[in-house]
Amino acid sequence: MKTRFKPLIILAAVLLLAALQAQAAEKIFIYNWTEYLPESVLEQFTKETGIEVVYTTYDSNETMYAKLKLIKKDGYDVAVPSTYFVSKMGREGMLMKLDHALLPNMKNLDPELLNKDYDPDNAYSIPYMWGSTGIAVNTDEIPKEQITSWKDLWKPEFKGKLLLQDDLREVFHMALRIKGFSGNTTNPKEIEQAYLLLKDLMPNVLLFNSDSPRLPFLAGEVSIGMIWNGEAWMAREENPAIQYVYPKEGASFWVDSFVIPQGARNPKGAHAFINFMMTPEVAKACVEEYGYPTPVTPAIALLDTDISSSRTIFPDAGIIKQGEFQNDVGQAIEIYQKYWEKLRTSN
Amino acid sequence: MKIDSKTRFSIIVLISGWFILFGVIPLVLLVITSFLTMDPANLVRLSFSLKAYSQLLIDPSYIIVFIRSVKLALITTLLCLGLGYPFAWYTARMPPRWRTSVLVLLMIPFWTNSLVRTYAMRMVLGTQGILNKALLSLGFIHTPLRIMYTDYAVVAGLFYLMLPFMVLPLYATIEKLNFQLVEAARDLGAGAASAFIKVIFPLTLPGIMAGCVMVFVPTMGLFYVASLLGGARQLLVGNLIQQQFLNARNWPLGSATSIVLIIFMAVMLIGYGLLLRRFGRGKGISG
Repeated sequence: MKTRFKPLIILAAVLLLAALQAQAAEKIFIYNWTEYLPESVLEQFTKETGIEVVYTTYDSNETMYAKLKLIKKDGYDVAVPSTYFVSKMGREGMLMKLDHALLPNMKNLDPELLNKDYDPDNAYSIPYMWGSTGIAVNTDEIPKEQITSWKDLWKPEFKGKLLLQDDLREVFHMALRIKGFSGNTTNPKEIEQAYLLLKDLMPNVLLFNSDSPRLPFLAGEVSIGMIWNGEAWMAREENPAIQYVYPKEGASFWVDSFVIPQGARNPKGAHAFINFMMTPEVAKACVEEYGYPTPVTPAIALLDTDISSSRTIFPDAGIIKQGEFQNDVGQAIEIYQKYWEKLRTSN
Repeated sequence: MKIDSKTRFSIIVLISGWFILFGVIPLVLLVITSFLTMDPANLVRLSFSLKAYSQLLIDPSYIIVFIRSVKLALITTLLCLGLGYPFAWYTARMPPRWRTSVLVLLMIPFWTNSLVRTYAMRMVLGTQGILNKALLSLGFIHTPLRIMYTDYAVVAGLFYLMLPFMVLPLYATIEKLNFQLVEAARDLGAGAASAFIKVIFPLTLPGIMAGCVMVFVPTMGLFYVASLLGGARQLLVGNLIQQQFLNARNWPLGSATSIVLIIFMAVMLIGYGLLLRRFGRGKGISG
């Protein structure tokens, strides 16, 4: 009997040694949105710094938050929350203060996107990419001229046909803007009115998707719905009929930022990574791959003109003014959450 | 091979240790969490509360999810039974060398992760999927069927994943069936239908019940099938639980929902046990 276990014991010892060996190399653990960082960039980072990257993805801020909340130590070194989660996590002591001395490439960043309300002086976060949420239309099925406003999604002819983002702030943004309120309102009455409007939208919803909203468009499952500009740009690369519309009530603009969670095991490596991501060539590669605008200003000059002049990727000042940047809503997020859940259980 | 008492002891310790670590402790934690208070900043607060349960029992939207879940699981079970019974029947009546091949074919997909197989279902059921392409080129339809993100897609996915759980217990009882009894019934003047109803059906009832329980019970929790094929709308209790833990961060409610689901399943299993004792035994006329 005993001899039969011998090979197993040897195998276990070998595995253990291999694990220890792997432990020896410096590593960072990155937790990011799905399809948001090119593989080639990670490889380049490892080549330049010798730091290995362990890469994991999520499809909503909520999922990322819930997981980080559970890990007290030895967790991820870098995560990429949206603005209002940066402030929430900062407030709850989940983030490490950044050492700006280790981030010299901050000089490349667009000052318009720094020192915002959600993170004064960028104590906790460095913007990675920003972008907008608007409407995608498959013009083979629906004439583009017919879709100009968020309100169009409520049309009865789209019953059971819509794709919505699985993101409460973005979904509420539509309804709040239609009602003429700010997408960042903290007024419970206004949020309630938006909820009542969204309730009418639920019969139109076919699916919620936030990992790759372009895929159902490309597969022909949906012809209209909410989408991020980068996803719309990637979709159009494959199918030119899929067009991006900035709704007239204003698109929702968001910023996703690098943060270092409190439980990080390699904060130094994390700083090196964040600094690396702010180099113009790297930022350029990210824009080319995913079609989201970058805060790294010198990168834009490096891009081909068909990318840097694309209105889908880089909206002009008028469109930005028409829309609204997502901001922290403080404790009011609980109110949003309550209504969001009501919407999700009732459909 | 003889197993000495030391080895036996260590095997028992290993298995019960495994069971305690990954079965009993998580369950106890789940029960405790379900009686705590939700806390937006720290997941849960250590103060006793029945709020999760009262919310679950009073708020109609949760009851609707439960009812819908039972409905989908029932439809899946009936479909599996309807198609699984003839499948198991003809397999069991085949020459023995064929039987094994058919069963192996049935089991082969099991070697692939069920999540991967659910993704594969998307390629079959999609608007530009294999099914639609085949139907279009054969001229049965002229515009593609919209199946994805409907209840049909969810039921198709559940049916595909659960069918073997129905076929295997049915096969086991049908194979053991004493066909002389069927012949005797026919000799005594029973038609095919009445021989089935009066003889075959009662004798294979234990297999039918086992298959139904094995399909029905896990189906209610297969949240990823409903998420991927049903468009992340809350169709099954499993989706509700996942949503509570990951998105709404209401752990007490998520735990309470799990507990209610576990109780529901336990009642079904006990009922099954009682039925089995009543019908299954004493009639053991196997070969």
